[in-house]
Amino acid sequence: MTFVNSLLLAGTALVAVPIVLHLIMRRKPRHLEFPALRLVQERHETNRRQIRLRHLLLLALRMAAIALLALALARPSMKFSGSLGLREEPVAAALVFDAAPRMEYRQANETRLEAAGKLGEWLLRQLPSESRIAVLDTRLAPAAFQIDRSAASQRIEQLAPVANSQSLPAVLDEAFRLLGQSELARKEVYLLTDLARAAWPAEAAARLQRRAAELPELSIYLIDVGAADPSNYSLGELRLSAQLFSSRSPLRIQTDVLRTGPAGRREVELLLLDEAGKLQKRGQQSVELEADGSAGLDFQVSGLGEGTHQGYVRLLGQDALAADDVRYFSVEVRAPWRILVVDPKTPHTHADFLPQLLAPESWRKSGLSRFECETIVQSDLTKTELDPYAAVCLVDPKPLSPAEWDKLAQYVSAGGGLAVFLGRNAPIASFNAADAQRLLPGPLVRQARATQGDVYLAPRDLQHPVLSAFRSFGGSIPWSDVPVYRYWELGTLAEGTGVVVPFSDGRPALLERTVGDGRVIVMTTPVSDLARGEPWNLLPVLDPWPFLILTNQTMLYLVGSTNQQLNYYAGQTATIVPDPSTRYRSYLVTAPSGMTFPLSADPKQGRLMVTSTDEPGNYRIQAGGRTAGVDHGFSVNLAARQTELERLTQEELAERFGPIPYRVARSRGQIERDVSMARVGRELFPLLILLVALALAAEHVLANRFYRE
Amino acid sequence: MSTAEKYLKPEVIQQISRLDLRAQFIVKGFLQGLHASPFQGFSVEFSEHRKYTPGDDPKDIDWLVYAKTDKYYVKKFEAETNITGYLVMDLSRSMGYTYRQELTKFDYAICLAAALAWLMIHQQDPVGLLTFDEKIRNSLSPKTKRRHLGDLLSLLANLKPEGNTDVAQSLIQVAAMLRHASLVMIFSDLLVEPEPVLEALHRLRHGGHDVILFHILDEAETQFPFAGLVELEEPESHRTLALDADGFRRDYLGELESFRQTYRRECFQSGIDYVPLDTSMQFDKALTEYLASRSARG
Repeated sequence: MTFVNSLLLAGTALVAVPIVLHLIMRRKPRHLEFPALRLVQERHETNRRQIRLRHLLLLALRMAAIALLALALARPSMKFSGSLGLREEPVAAALVFDAAPRMEYRQANETRLEAAGKLGEWLLRQLPSESRIAVLDTRLAPAAFQIDRSAASQRIEQLAPVANSQSLPAVLDEAFRLLGQSELARKEVYLLTDLARAAWPAEAAARLQRRAAELPELSIYLIDVGAADPSNYSLGELRLSAQLFSSRSPLRIQTDVLRTGPAGRREVELLLLDEAGKLQKRGQQSVELEADGSAGLDFQVSGLGEGTHQGYVRLLGQDALAADDVRYFSVEVRAPWRILVVDPKTPHTHADFLPQLLAPESWRKSGLSRFECETIVQSDLTKTELDPYAAVCLVDPKPLSPAEWDKLAQYVSAGGGLAVFLGRNAPIASFNAADAQRLLPGPLVRQARATQGDVYLAPRDLQHPVLSAFRSFGGSIPWSDVPVYRYWELGTLAEGTGVVVPFSDGRPALLERTVGDGRVIVMTTPVSDLARGEPWNLLPVLDPWPFLILTNQTMLYLVGSTNQQLNYYAGQTATIVPDPSTRYRSYLVTAPSGMTFPLSADPKQGRLMVTSTDEPGNYRIQAGGRTAGVDHGFSVNLAARQTELERLTQEELAERFGPIPYRVARSRGQIERDVSMARVGRELFPLLILLVALALAAEHVLANRFYRE
Repeated sequence: MSTAEKYLKPEVIQQISRLDLRAQFIVKGFLQGLHASPFQGFSVEFSEHRKYTPGDDPKDIDWLVYAKTDKYYVKKFEAETNITGYLVMDLSRSMGYTYRQELTKFDYAICLAAALAWLMIHQQDPVGLLTFDEKIRNSLSPKTKRRHLGDLLSLLANLKPEGNTDVAQSLIQVAAMLRHASLVMIFSDLLVEPEPVLEALHRLRHGGHDVILFHILDEAETQFPFAGLVELEEPESHRTLALDADGFRRDYLGELESFRQTYRRECFQSGIDYVPLDTSMQFDKALTEYLASRSARG
């Protein structure tokens, strides 16, 4: 509580006056003669107590009236979130601007960020002189106090959308850290935001509350500059069938159009840059959207030549938020991967299952197959040149000679992929030899049997790239329908080995080991058994679609397709691995804006890493001249959460802040009132005057009744 | 209301200063209000004839004598049993109290006593007067002569209510003084301990006397019209009490009622007429009470 005229508080000493009067000038009761006094005497004692009580009550009321009057004249004010001192006392203030791309939402001919900037400038003028002011936006950068007010003003003027905006709790955290360093007692955070839900991850709430609680004299003002009822069309993130694929495969691009607001209709077009750098329209679709609804889109592009292809999908027509109307993509097309299948040629082994799984007959015929499989007999392995192949598959291998193991080891170390499908042909002694164990994930212990059919492939989660294709199916994959009767149990796994897929009994089914630059994938049960006889499993023969996908994804992983990423979110570091045969020392990166900057390759691995990816669009990385050189590319998009306009409800906001007091204001008037309430507090004068009046009235009524003439 | 009847009101009678006139007016007002002579039906005995003079009731003309003498004579009657009445006045200081500054309790008692004396004398009943404070102060023996009324009224008019009182002791003295069974009319505010008084009253009654107890209180004493903080002082003992009148009124009235109830009950049991009065009440109530008692005796 603070007082405008604290000297007047001394007036409360006047409460002594009624006490003195009470003591020395007791009002004499009316003196009356009354002969019937003896009738009175009997009941007098209780009455005397009443009189005393009334006296005290009157005294208390008079004292209260005087004290309240003195208090009221001192103009006290009550604060509702802790602050000290008066309005003119300097504060440590952090002006936090939400600069996410969704703040580009245009309303009343200004973007939300511009509106926030204007309010920020105004706020800046309202802050007491000598205040320490920091201006923060949502970029990932350490905060610091501005040198002076004009520097802060300049900083506000320069505000621009930040493509990879931090979540607001993270920025507030930084603001709290900064304010915590200030010696000024009163600390204020002004957060100018559109209160979009996407910027307030629920899991950050606890930390935010904890940090805010560390600053007891902190006032938080949320200044809502968002559109109350936004209307927007937005394009969801693109889902590409693959980023790196063979020239025979078509490119499939799926996305959603999302509507915020009433129902509407929109045209969406797909554009591709051709070799000459010109945009070619490769598809257009129109979507009908219900109010606040969404609709899926599916574009298919085929006939892409080898090389890097870039393009974008965009919504036609204008809306309030342009940032989410376009999505960029880059894909790389290359020749089909050559896969060498090594057939042991034993009676029970049907090695031709694998080529069927990787390159089905129909795909091969139509030229859509991603892989070109060639099968050799195991005995020919020694004389076969492995380098042309992207991966080698050993189907239920028989014992291999040390030279063969050595050859395979060299191949893998140089970056090749090796898949081993263990089966009945594998003798423990040969496979547990040191040569074999250089590649295999662990020693073979025994053949485990599960004749009940209760063992099957049971992926725990779908985080591994091999399993990424299953993510869209959720839990509906019928793994348990396909039993595995027998498999190899492995001993202690070698270092650098991971279990990609376990069996339902927990033992490893699919393992991965990195050797040199290459990878080894081992499956502990074969893919070459017929259903009759005593099959080790029914994976290739019984309703094989999960297994088909698994095998294909495993192979794509082996050949390195899945780890080539060409599409990034803004702010992520883009990593491009050029083909070893065409590596240059330095490259030139062309940003979407047309700006170019040089880039040096990682000298050890030849990787190209581009860190300045704040601008959404298609980036090109070139070297060696236009005709003979290389041309790589990648795309940068805004994460969907950066443009989601859906607003937090009051309840959600309260949940995010928990016990931390905060105020939400929309207008300057509201801000002024809230701030003055927190700084000066709410004036108690009217309330006190009312109480004075009540005390006086009560005193008057009581005294009149008491001393009635 | 006729002119005479209005004299039953204390506030009207107050305007008349002469006590004899007061008594006369009260009685005349009272008799007029009765519409019938209170003397009718009285058991009386023929005493003498006298010449009729205009103004005498023609009903009293003795027609036998007229037949014999051709002159009008009226029969003169004498009460068969005369009631010897004693007016017993309390002279305590408290009797001089008035809140509204009109009739004091004492004035009221005097008026009442005078009216009763007037009435009795005119009815040939001998009436005497006794006054007391702590003991008997004045005594006037009962007589029926008209002249006696003058003496009695002049004594009454000169009485002053001052000094302390001992009602019980005085009544015991009265009981000892009275030889014959009499009608004892006591005028007092009875603001003393009730037990000794009641005992004295019993004793008086036991002596064969008829007792009418006129319990006269001031209007303020029956209504407690005070408000706010007051300090009350008892005029005799000068004791004071400060109290809040508003909160106290109900208690006081309850206490008063129980006080009167005690007397009412005790008096009823011992055959004493208890007449609670206050200074705002008309005089006829008291007079009616006397007549009722008188007729019971008759």
